[in-house]
Amino acid sequence: MIVPLEHILILAALLFFLGLGGLLAWRTNLIMMLVCIEVMLNAVMLVFVGGSTQWGNADGQIFAIFIMALTSSEVSLALAMVVYLHRRKRTVNTDLFSEMKG
Amino acid sequence: MEFYLAFILLFPLAGGLCNTLFARLLPRRLSEAVACGAIWASFICALLVFFNFTGPLKVEYASWLTAFDFQAPVTLYLDQLSLSLALMITFVCGLIHLYSIGYMKGDPALARYFALLNIFVFAMLVLVLAENLPLLYLGWEGVGFCSYALIGFWYQEEKNATAGRKAFIVTRIGDIAFGIAMVWMYRLFGTVSITQLNSMASLVPAGIVTGLGILLLIGATGKSAQLPLSVWLPDAMAGPTPVSAQIHAATMVTAGVYLLARMFPLIGASEAVRAAIAVIGGVTAFYAATCACAQRDLKRILAYSTISQIGYMVLGVGAGALTAATFHLLTHAFFKALLFLGAGCVITVLHHQQDIYRMGGLKSRFPAIYWPFLAGALCLAGFPGSGGFFSKDAILGAVFARGGALYGSLFALGLFTALLTAFYTFRMLFVVFHGEADNSRPLSPSSGEWHSHLPPVMTVTLIPLALFGLLGGILDLPEYLGASAFLSGFLGPIPGFAGLVQAVPGDEVSLQIIAAATSIVGLGLAWSRYTGDRRAASLAMEEAGSPRSDFFLYGWYLDHLYHLLLIRPFEWLSRFLWKRIDESGIDGSLDGLARFTARLGGVPAGWSSGRVVTSLFGLAGGVCVVLAYLAWRVLG
Repeated sequence: MIVPLEHILILAALLFFLGLGGLLAWRTNLIMMLVCIEVMLNAVMLVFVGGSTQWGNADGQIFAIFIMALTSSEVSLALAMVVYLHRRKRTVNTDLFSEMKG
Repeated sequence: MEFYLAFILLFPLAGGLCNTLFARLLPRRLSEAVACGAIWASFICALLVFFNFTGPLKVEYASWLTAFDFQAPVTLYLDQLSLSLALMITFVCGLIHLYSIGYMKGDPALARYFALLNIFVFAMLVLVLAENLPLLYLGWEGVGFCSYALIGFWYQEEKNATAGRKAFIVTRIGDIAFGIAMVWMYRLFGTVSITQLNSMASLVPAGIVTGLGILLLIGATGKSAQLPLSVWLPDAMAGPTPVSAQIHAATMVTAGVYLLARMFPLIGASEAVRAAIAVIGGVTAFYAATCACAQRDLKRILAYSTISQIGYMVLGVGAGALTAATFHLLTHAFFKALLFLGAGCVITVLHHQQDIYRMGGLKSRFPAIYWPFLAGALCLAGFPGSGGFFSKDAILGAVFARGGALYGSLFALGLFTALLTAFYTFRMLFVVFHGEADNSRPLSPSSGEWHSHLPPVMTVTLIPLALFGLLGGILDLPEYLGASAFLSGFLGPIPGFAGLVQAVPGDEVSLQIIAAATSIVGLGLAWSRYTGDRRAASLAMEEAGSPRSDFFLYGWYLDHLYHLLLIRPFEWLSRFLWKRIDESGIDGSLDGLARFTARLGGVPAGWSSGRVVTSLFGLAGGVCVVLAYLAWRVLG
């Protein structure tokens, strides 16, 4: 193992917080928010794969593959909703959608 | 006997209840007949009791308050004192009721008036006949309530209602002291029966007797309008004139004197209490007489004269001359009722004009009012031979006989008061009845014409009162006239009434000559000032007023003093409690708390904006918190 686990974790954390930061900052565009979520999920996957190599256990890699499948289905669903929302208000700015208010 | 005794009380009560319950249903005539009939029936019962009277009688009719060993049954005690007072009350009140028929002619609230008047008499009779203190207190509060309701009888006018409230509140101060004394006596002696209490003075130290006596004295000053609680009586003139007559003559104000006389065997055991009673009485008599000299309202003159005369009675009680005090109480009842009823006639014929400077020359026009009024004035001034002369002089003689510096100076004060009394009485008489009705002073503000339709019942009732007032002296003639002193003999057997000191007969004659001279000098002063040529000048001067006469006109500014000392601080305190404590303190802190929680609730309310980003920030915040916690756990 050339790359130590710490480095992987630091990279994953960086990716995760970049994704989180992007998610919070780029809320004028729903598609970019989905992209940021993907970045965060990838950071998590990286942690799983790193852990799996560290301890020689395949469970982490299986989880990573599951997350990929889950992500692809999630994205397809989310994009369908983006299209729907765009049809309703001609915008993808999330700040303009507040119908969920109690 | 027991039967008649109960009916003395039951008739006025029944009359009052009848007028209360069926007020609207009864025709006016029937309402009047029921009220007057009740009192006269009560008087007849009292007469029957008097003729069958053999000795003190104690009758228990029913049980009333019973708790453990506290017993206050409905027990009546009939002795010479309560019997003579009951006779006087029913007789004088009976005449006042008859007079009221004329005076209240046309008043819409006649049934209420007569109901209250009857219950007033009932309460006073309960007070007089009660054997135990709680029952006496029931009557005591009863007269307090009825006087309140009757003084403020024409309650639509703010002034009258205020006068009623003032009477109620001021007398209440005295009532509290009386209530405390009653509870204290029960704690000390284990009984509230008056007859038992009166035999127990020797069982407790003199200091405690003094305390009890002072408390009872405060109670009596409230009811009898003595200093320092005298301020309610002049204002009590707001009520109808027959009510004033009843309050001043027969009921209410004599209650304090009666209480002191009744409890005298107990409280008289203390020298200090006797001195305090005498000083209060003497000073009040003087105070009120000076005030009466400057009054310009006919009824207020009479009001101050009542305070002054009650002061004499209290002075008599303080000097231990209970018989003399009772004698003066009886004669005073007759002539004061007479004067008030006469004043009521004058006020009626002059269209409710009460200012004496607007009157004059009534003598020739209304002899039916003048002659009885003159009789009343002679009695009040203590003119030789009248009832008031003998009774007042009996008190002064007893005070003189006590001797010593204190009683000596009180005697001198009393004598000077007698001079003032004669002066203001005849001032009133001469100004109102003599002279000429000046055309520049219209009799009534509106028309100035005479109102000559005086109901005959109003003048007829004055005659028996005038006779009783003038001839009241026969009740208790001094010994040097050779007559047997009826009242002294009658009241003598009651404990405490036998008299502490007997005057020397020679002294008595010279004292009476002095008193007679005093009275005549007062008359002469008034005559020279208010009749003939000097009348107009005197009246003009008095009407202009001066700081000195204002001082007496406003009763030595006693009302102003109380306003300054009690009412102003009380209002300030109330305002402080209202504005600072209640509104700023309590309401303010609660309002602040409510505002704070509302603002606190506003913070999470902002989070439910419905926008995605809020949830996301929440999520991020949560992540940060979890991470910070983990970092703290790991590193710290």
